[in-house]
Amino acid sequence: MSAIELKDVSKSYGARRAIDSVTLTVERGERVVLFGPSGCGKSTLLHLIAGFIPPESGDIFIDSELVSTAGKTLREPEERGIGMVFQDLALWPHMTVAENIEFGLRAQRYPDAERKRRVKGMVELVGLGDYLGAKPGQLSGGEQQRVALARTLALSPRIVLMDEPLSSLDEALNAQLRMEILRLHREIGFTLLYVTHTRTEATTLGNRTIHLQRGRIVARPPGAR
Amino acid sequence: MPAAYRNAKHVAVSIAALLLSAAGLLPVVAMAANSIYVDGSFSLAAYKALWAHGGQQLTPMAHSLLLSFSVAFLATGAGVPLGIALGKTDLPFPRVFAALLTVPLLVPSYVLAVAWTAVLGSSGWVSRSLAPETAKYLSSALFGLTGCAGVLCTAFTPIVMLLTIAYLGAVNPRLEDAGRLVGRWPAVLRYITLPIIAPAILFATLLVFLLTLGEVGVPSYLQYTVYPAEILTQFAAFYDFRAATAAATPLVFVTLLIVAGEYWLLRRQSTETRVALTARQTRIELRRWRWPLAGCVLVWGFVTVLLPLSALVAQSFSYSSYAEAFARATDSLLRSTTLAIVGATALTAVGFLCGYLIHDRTLTLWRGVDALALFLFALPGTVIGIGIIGLWNTPVTSVLYGSPVIIIVGYLAQYAVLPTRMTWAILERIPATVEYAAQVCGASWIMTVRHIVAPLASRGLIAAWICSYVFCMRDLGISMVVYPPGSDTLPVRIFTLMANGAPTLIAALCVILIVVTILPLGLVTLWQGREEPTA
Repeated sequence: MSAIELKDVSKSYGARRAIDSVTLTVERGERVVLFGPSGCGKSTLLHLIAGFIPPESGDIFIDSELVSTAGKTLREPEERGIGMVFQDLALWPHMTVAENIEFGLRAQRYPDAERKRRVKGMVELVGLGDYLGAKPGQLSGGEQQRVALARTLALSPRIVLMDEPLSSLDEALNAQLRMEILRLHREIGFTLLYVTHTRTEATTLGNRTIHLQRGRIVARPPGAR
Repeated sequence: MPAAYRNAKHVAVSIAALLLSAAGLLPVVAMAANSIYVDGSFSLAAYKALWAHGGQQLTPMAHSLLLSFSVAFLATGAGVPLGIALGKTDLPFPRVFAALLTVPLLVPSYVLAVAWTAVLGSSGWVSRSLAPETAKYLSSALFGLTGCAGVLCTAFTPIVMLLTIAYLGAVNPRLEDAGRLVGRWPAVLRYITLPIIAPAILFATLLVFLLTLGEVGVPSYLQYTVYPAEILTQFAAFYDFRAATAAATPLVFVTLLIVAGEYWLLRRQSTETRVALTARQTRIELRRWRWPLAGCVLVWGFVTVLLPLSALVAQSFSYSSYAEAFARATDSLLRSTTLAIVGATALTAVGFLCGYLIHDRTLTLWRGVDALALFLFALPGTVIGIGIIGLWNTPVTSVLYGSPVIIIVGYLAQYAVLPTRMTWAILERIPATVEYAAQVCGASWIMTVRHIVAPLASRGLIAAWICSYVFCMRDLGISMVVYPPGSDTLPVRIFTLMANGAPTLIAALCVILIVVTILPLGLVTLWQGREEPTA
């Protein structure tokens, strides 16, 4: 069964066609990379899948259930079982690391004991055990990155969308966190859809790469290796 | 619960939009309808009567327009240079100067008129030290167009100054940097910065024009006949509701026309500067002009703020004045404070939701809500007040109409634009992904607002509350028209006592009003100064 399926999906902003008749399927447990230059519609595609915006035309299925169709959102983002790591990480600056991770568990009304167990497990998983009481502003870029991952994975989402989360890091940290993401994927087994414009990230993280250009999926852009 | 997040959001912002419409739009519409439906049939009698007595209305209308043009011109002429000096240069103590020069906006404008009388009046500070002929000339100049224009100029210059500072801060610094590579700062200001913020300056000018057009307190005190005072007379003296409505119609049309123009300008301006909201601003280095310019700003602050307010305090400075002031107005003071606190809280709640609606574009009519709030702010308070009476003064709604709650309704109508715009501005600075992240975690909308959005916007919301409190506290236009018998506010009580009260008593009451109005601002500034930034 496919985890994500898009059928002939299109989306425009004014006169500009951001996504143009995109059809794609991501199988369960797959690591798929959406690769393309800036402004080609990668982030728009993730936002369509997450449910933040409805498509103009076409259908979007999550776990074979129709969640969005032309102009309509049938399943809201919070009902799709999706986790997302944003490009700017979107950590809540007024909350501590523990509170950032715990917030979703509180929203989903997990019992106290279970919440504490999960937060502890997550910070250990991403190696942030000493920073539970720190606020995001007190952490380095790499540590913030790990908090964003922990927050997303704490709710055990079936699908994780990542919108260029490593783009602001230096090469060494980028490589280290790529390995971290691969390890977490191996240990937890979620479906990963990862957006990037960097070839290295695409080749390391994806077991399949989809090339996007001007809102369309292309077989392989001219000049690509 | 499918779509619970979206539904909760839609319901909350819809309630806020409905409250704003019920408080402000409905009274204006009902007022217009009541003036053309007499005893169940269509009639233009009130308008025909207005037309027939057009000659009588022409002079006050001409006075109003002349005064509005003068004040708009003077306030822009002073406010823009001050805004540039404080917002764009390395002038020393910019915050202290900005706070000092903002004081006249925080106090009711007629209090400034009282203060200037204490300076230039026949027995005022300055007049006592001048030759009798000069003193007489200055005193007579204070009463009339010159005095009104001067006092209202000092009252409204902070609007132009603050908006200039705000919009200068939003200009993309890269545009200026590109200009600085080929020219000096004066040329960059003239050809790049000022043309970019020109729509905002024009917006500020038009806002000052409209606020002056609706002004009653200062012209009444300084004995200059203006149109809104005529409407008030129609209403208060003759209780002729239809005649007052008909008389208010020209003001409604002028306001509508100007607000439409302002709205168009503001939309253009915001798209031109939006890119730079988070960018670091470059400042003009004044070098050897730094202290001379600071001296000029200080002189302006001394003449327009410190001198009149010091004269007011000096005039009131006796135990007997304050004892009498408290004896005669404690009930009004407590009522004003309570109403301002409740009003500010209601305004912040409604303004937050309206600001959220405009930021998030939750409903398709978001632009309409924004325009309505701006229109109601620009409409004279007396006009809104008359509309509220026309709508709520019925046997069914007499419980509401007969209680001080009706004053809160008026505040909600007139001042909602302030917290709305402030919330909108602060929400624009919070990345949308922060809210998205909470949504994908499964948080409800209320939980997201409570734990994520509101804490991140807390400073802006506190500022919105204070701003709302100040405007509720200083309100005269609406309160004077709608207050139920025995429930007058302090500004109304002072205004009533002005006719025959002793100048020392009036001065003491004005000082009390200023202190109570500015006190929360001072307290919060002190408290926030000790807090760590949260976002």
